[in-house]
Amino acid sequence: MRNARLLDEIRETNLSYLLLAQQLIREDLAEATFRLGISEEVADLIDQLTTAQVLRIASSNMLMCRFRFDDEVVWNLLTSHTKDRTVSGMHAAIIMSGKATSTAA
Amino acid sequence: MAKVKSILSEALQIQLATELIRLDARLQVLESETQLSRERLLKLYKELKHKSPPKGMLPFSTDWFMTWQPNIHSSLFVNIYQTLIKSTDIEDIEAIIKAYKMYLEQINHLGLPEVLSLTRAWRLVKFFDAGMLTTTECKECEGRFVVHTFELVNDYVCGLCHMPSRAGKTRLSAADRFFNEEAGVEV
Repeated sequence: MRNARLLDEIRETNLSYLLLAQQLIREDLAEATFRLGISEEVADLIDQLTTAQVLRIASSNMLMCRFRFDDEVVWNLLTSHTKDRTVSGMHAAIIMSGKATSTAA
Repeated sequence: MAKVKSILSEALQIQLATELIRLDARLQVLESETQLSRERLLKLYKELKHKSPPKGMLPFSTDWFMTWQPNIHSSLFVNIYQTLIKSTDIEDIEAIIKAYKMYLEQINHLGLPEVLSLTRAWRLVKFFDAGMLTTTECKECEGRFVVHTFELVNDYVCGLCHMPSRAGKTRLSAADRFFNEEAGVEV
């Protein structure tokens, strides 16, 4: 039972992620590559997916999105309570925007 | 300046100029990025803003980008800009506009003042193109920050890893001063 519910949640997350990605790509391709952290080629692929394909891809036991930043510094900054929150937020934003597509490149 | 022949291309240029004016670009930016005549740009500016554009020269110093707060803001903008340039093949000015809008998004979200104006951001990209400024990696956080090309060092530490003791103390007053200077004759 628990497993079935988890699979449902994964499917829903995949579905909203893919639909949001398509929406971002269709609104502005360049901006979408930055926000999603994907290359233009992958963006084109996602853009071409039909609704049936999106549904099929979403129904999986794996998530289609993943954690983008595997950098300890970023996580420390985002969770920091000691320093001024706006300063650490700004610091994280600079590091994250610099690494925005490095994984896809 | 070459006269614009095609009506379609003129329409596109007007669209670009309109977007730049809405983002508070100075007339010099418009003149450099479009082929529209100065008269037409002036007219368009007045139509959109209901006032004359600020006069006077653009800020021309690279030093402004080295001071603590501007350096952080311009580093954020440049990181976004360079990511856009690397991952897509859009025109430079388009990338400047998109990166600037996303910079504003982030700043407003954090509740910080808009330290970098579009004109400054445009200027920053020109300084990069001219090889006067570049980015270097902070050895502690590995983020990339704006530096003078002639001041490149191997053990650079950014202003956020090692904050100067007085950093941010004059945040609002500095932003005010900056806007007054940038706005020129604006009331």
